[in-house]
Parts: sequence; C-alpha cells; structure tokens
Amino acid sequence: MRAAVLVVALALATGSAWADASPDAALAGLLDEARDAASTPGTCAQPGIDRLVKIYCAGRIRIGAREYYPLFGTKNGDVWTGYEIDVARDIAKKLGVNIEFSKAKAATRIPMLADDNVDLIIATMGHNTERDSQVLFIRPHYYQSETIVVGPRGLVIRGWDDLRGRTVCVTVGNGSNAELVAHGVRLLLFGEAETLPDRLSDETCLLVAQDDSFFAYYLANPEFSARFDDKFGFAQVPWGMAVARTGSDELARALDLMSEIFHRDGVFLAAARANHIATAFLVRQQEVWNRPACNTDTGSSNPACVLPPLNIVQQPTPFAPEVAAFKRWVALLTGSQPSLPMLETAPAWSLFLSGIVNSLLLIGGALAATLGFALLFGAMMASGTRLLRWPARAITAALQSSPILLTLAMTSVFVHAIAPYSSGLALIASIVALGLSNGSNAGQAIAEAYLTFHAEAGASATPASALFLRAVSRAATQIVAFLINAAKGTPIASFIGAPELLSALTDITSFSSGRGTTYTLLLVFYTGVVILVVWLCHRFQALLERRGAVA
Amino acid sequence: MSQILPNLTPEFFRLLLSGMAVNFEIAAIALLLGVALAVPLVLLRLGGGIPGRLASLLVGLMRAAPTFVVMFFLLNALPRGIGLSGAMIVAVALVPYAASYIADSGVDAVRQLRAGSRQAGLLILPNIARSFFVMVMSSSAGAAIGVREGIAVILREAEQAHGLGQILVLFAIGVICFGIPLQVGFAIIRAIQARLGRPSLPEEEAALTGEATVPIEQT
Repeated sequence: MRAAVLVVALALATGSAWADASPDAALAGLLDEARDAASTPGTCAQPGIDRLVKIYCAGRIRIGAREYYPLFGTKNGDVWTGYEIDVARDIAKKLGVNIEFSKAKAATRIPMLADDNVDLIIATMGHNTERDSQVLFIRPHYYQSETIVVGPRGLVIRGWDDLRGRTVCVTVGNGSNAELVAHGVRLLLFGEAETLPDRLSDETCLLVAQDDSFFAYYLANPEFSARFDDKFGFAQVPWGMAVARTGSDELARALDLMSEIFHRDGVFLAAARANHIATAFLVRQQEVWNRPACNTDTGSSNPACVLPPLNIVQQPTPFAPEVAAFKRWVALLTGSQPSLPMLETAPAWSLFLSGIVNSLLLIGGALAATLGFALLFGAMMASGTRLLRWPARAITAALQSSPILLTLAMTSVFVHAIAPYSSGLALIASIVALGLSNGSNAGQAIAEAYLTFHAEAGASATPASALFLRAVSRAATQIVAFLINAAKGTPIASFIGAPELLSALTDITSFSSGRGTTYTLLLVFYTGVVILVVWLCHRFQALLERRGAVA
Repeated sequence: MSQILPNLTPEFFRLLLSGMAVNFEIAAIALLLGVALAVPLVLLRLGGGIPGRLASLLVGLMRAAPTFVVMFFLLNALPRGIGLSGAMIVAVALVPYAASYIADSGVDAVRQLRAGSRQAGLLILPNIARSFFVMVMSSSAGAAIGVREGIAVILREAEQAHGLGQILVLFAIGVICFGIPLQVGFAIIRAIQARLGRPSLPEEEAALTGEATVPIEQT
C-alpha cells in the first residue's frame, strides 16, 4: 500500500514537473503576472515597467506591419490583410488585448521600436547578426524566405552552372547579391523590387533574383505564372518578429513562448495556408517544435531547436580603423561623411584591388591588340592578293557597322563556344573585341596611306616592306586616335563579365552603401588613365612620325 | 535550315525598329545638349586668357571621360529624386563626348572663317552630323542599364536562341540594321564634304573627325 502511494505520488510529481516545463504553462504564468501587475493600482503610472505590463495597462498592443507587401501585409482602406497580419491577430488574441497597426517600411522598422512608436514589429524583417545588436528578435522565427531566380518558363536554369555569365536583375543592397557575384553572375541593378516584375514582362530583364516572399504574389497570378517560373532558390534568411532591446524582456519572453506554441500547434502554418504563401519551412518547424526536447519552456534558447541569424558581418580590412578615422575627419571638415565600402571590408578590398589590376591589364591588352590588328589588317588590305584584301575589307566594313556592345557580345559568344565561361576568358574576349574594332579601322588608315605611297612611288623599285613602314608612320595620327579609343572603350568590357574596375565596384555597391563616392572614384580613375594613355600615345605618335621623316 | 534560322516574328522586328528609334532619340538629345554646352566653351576658348584655359581644360577632361563610366556615374551617383529615365541617362552620358567634339570643331570652324575660308568653316556641319551617327552607335551602351534600344532587343533574343548559328544570324541582323543608316549617313557626309571642299584641319582634329576612317566613340 505504501509502495502504491509512493508510485502515485512520484507519477503526480513527474506530471506536475512536465506541466510546469511546458511552454503553455510558462506563458500562462507570465501573462497572469503581467495582468496582475497592470491591475495593481499605481503600477501603470510607474516608469520602467515592462512593455508586456504596459500592453495590459493600455488594453492594446501596437504592431508595426507592412502596408504593401502582397500576401504578407497589405492595407486596403482600413482593412489589413496578409500572413503577418493574421499572426499579429493570433498574438493579440492570445494576449487578450486589441491591436493598433502602424505602417512600417524597411527603413523605419527598427527606428519605430527604438522611438517607442510600436511594441512589436512583424514586417518581413530578416534576422541577421547586424540587426541583432539593434533589436531583440523573437525565437523561434515565424517564417523563412530565400532568394529565388525567376525567368521565362522555356529557359532552362537548374542551378549556378546555368547562371554563370548571365545577367540577372537585382535590387541594390540585397544581401544575396554577393552570392550571385561569387558565382560569376553579372548584375543589372534596380532601386526598387516593385519594378522587377515589370522589367521581366517588358523583357528588359531575362532573369531576376529577389525574395520568394516578394514573388509569391506574382507567381500566384495565373497570367504571370503562365510566362515565368521559379528556377531555383538560395540564401535562406529566417524572419523574426522584433521588440525594443530595452524594457521588453517580459514581452520578448512571452512572444518566444507563443511562437513555440504557434509552431507546435500549426497556428503559423494555418495562417500561411490561408494566405497562399510557401509553407515548406513552417511544416519543418512544426515537426521540430513537436519534439519533446524542443517543446519546453526553454526550447527557444536551445540551439538544437532554433535557427541561427544570418551571418552578414564581413571581415574588416587591416586598415579599417584608419579609414574610419579619415571619414570622421572629413565629416568634421565638410559636415558629411563619405562612404568608402571598398576600403572597409576584406572582400570588398579584394574585389577593388583585382578590379584595378584587371583594368590595367585590359587597357594594356586592348592597346597591344589594337596595334597588332592594325598592322595585320593594314598588311592584308595593302596586299596585292585579293584573297587577303577582300576578306579584310569585308571584316572592317562589318566591324565599322557594329556597335561595340554587339562586337563584344559576338566575340564573347565565339570565345565561350570554344571554352567554358570564366572571368579570365571574358577579359581575353574583351581585349580581342576592342582590338578588332579599333585595329581594323586603324588598319584601313595604314592601307590608305600605303596606297598613296604606292601611287607616288609608281613603278619605282622601293620594296613593299619599306613602303608599308612609311605608311604606318603616315597613319600615326589615325593609329593613335584608335588606340585612345580602345583605352576609352575598356570599361564596356564589364558588360560581358570581364572583372575590371567598373564590374568590381558594381559588385561592391550591390551589397554595400556608398554608391556616390564609389562611382565618383571610378570616373576619376578612368579619366586619369585615359589622360595618361593620351599622353603616352602622343609620345608614340611623335616617335612614329620621326621614324617616318627619317625614312 | 530551321535550326540555324531563329524564329523571327513580326513582333521582333517591330521591337527592333522601335529600339533603334530609341538609339536615334538618344543621339538627338545628346547632340542638342552637346551643342548647348559647346557654344559657351567655344566662345571662352576663342576669348583666351584664364577662362579660355579653363574651358580648354574642361574640354580635355570631357574628351577623356569614357561614356560608359559616365553613364554608370549618372545612374548611381545622382540623387534618386532627379528621376532621369534610362534613355535620358545614356543621352546625358554622351554629352561630354558631344560637347568636346563640337567644341573642338567649333573652334576650328571659327578660325577657318577668320582666315577667310568660308567653305572650310562650314565643314562644322558635316562634322556635327558625323558625331550624331557616332552617338547613334554609342547609345547601344544603354543595353547595359536596361534601356530597350536596338542592341538590347538583339541581345535579348540571342539569349533565348538555340545554338551558335541562330545567335550569329541575330547578330548579323543587328550589324545590317545599324550598318545601313550609318553607312548611308557617312556617304551623305562625304558627299557634303566633297561639295564644300577638303578641310584644312590640323592633324589631330583630322583624327578625331575621321577623315580616312571613322573612329567610333567607344563609350
């Protein structure tokens, strides 16, 4: 009998311990305490009380939500709809208070919390390491997005290999741009995500990359999805609700527990299904939060149950402190702080350096190729053999009629038909294209000069090789003009993926700020280099002319 | 044969023609803005002194600035509120080239007129026409920032073509479509030049205007 009593007592104790460790019990206890505090006379007027108590004092929770983010948060008149809106309503229902929605934009989400304009933000905010220091994220996360590549249904894109070397339209500052760049994708930058579907429809962009949550609305549209589909996804980002870092500990704890329960009981999943958004992440999370190890009042702090934030902190350069000091000094002098992203982080600095080196290689290569093709085309067009003269003339006429962008694209197609895409090959293709385009024209000038000498010499016995050298000297002005032209044309090589400075800086600014400073430096760099090339070319011209005078 | 020839619809040719109209529109705007900027620069340079030297320095910088970089600078460094369209950005990016070229030609034309050679002075007109056609070709740089001009239409179609043969056919169409107006334009310019008489330009100027050959401004 005594043993039986002991067993029953133990069972009750174990059951009671389990009940106490459940997120439901912990949440109920927390909310009861807050309600009691709010109903105690004088508490609501006290400074420093937690926001959870303040919510009960006011009888409403202030939530910041997106006003136009289809399927997630939309305001039509006074009616708010979307997945995040339904989640907000479920939270208010669980708290037993009313809701007051406020419009939140990407740029205002965090300041709204810091300024105490809202108690909670549920506004498509990705949880990353940088934001972790600014707000308190609720765990587990209520959603997860990824960047998807969208394009015409007929176009086969299975993964990174099919995307390498192609142009993809993206928005400036999107965190996933760096990953696209790392896989050899060329970026066409746009300011607002809202323009991307239109640019797909009017065929300005063949492919675009953006959050799947953004494209969920468009892909749900039968007309849009008949033309375009989702090729593949990458760069997964967990989304977090957030509260202010100070004065919100109890509120954050209550929301942590609520999120566990919502995942476990399928509340998030039901809201997602009701709003026709992707549910794969929520299905996985429901399974996780039904595990005994996670379904506890400490589950939200268990690394085995919750997802880590996206790590976006980039390694600083060794001289980053000096750069920061310089920026402060400029700010003191001018009142505005310059942005120098290429000097601040190691990946950006590496891209910047290689961009400068590749630009100089490209300019040197383009000058050499222009000179080489000029001599080749000149010799062919001055030749007495029609088999050489006519093809050279035909190629020159075609190159003169082709905009340089088309010539670049053609050369790139030829080169990549021989070997698979690489940035080095794109550099070589650019050098060949610039050399062909300018060299053929300069070659024509040499041939014309040769013909004048030939006519002047008549039937004299001057050797053809000597006449040709004199023709090169006579065409010096034209040769120099096209050499300068070739140097000026080098930045356009970025169009076919050559990793020169323009390309590098476009990549850097696609995932960092400071576009104004960056492109000003770029303009100064290229203008300076062209001025240097002009000076060198004129010295070369003087040399040619001196040789011509001697000859 | 059907594998080599891409499936070219009337819609493609309609888009190509409307794209080429954008190229001509961009060049026309750039030319107008270039003339507007070049006129005071010519006057300053002819006036001499410090303003003249500053004008020469400015022309030298504009001559050295690559159009493609200027285009990206305008696209990224200008405040968003200005709200220039893509085509307008390309047109403004071509202005340094147009203004420096016309300023050089303008100074030379005035000097020729002062020297009593009216015909040589009038050669500024075919020179301006030449810069217009050069800019029609250069405006294809707009394809890199999403402007729907002629080359963008060709490249867009080429991205969806099947095989090298189809791509080359499309590129050939692009060369022919841009080549015809360019060659016709230059033939007219040559005819006008022949009528006005050969210019007595300094050698450097001859290189820039392209007497024997036509240096296409390579953005």
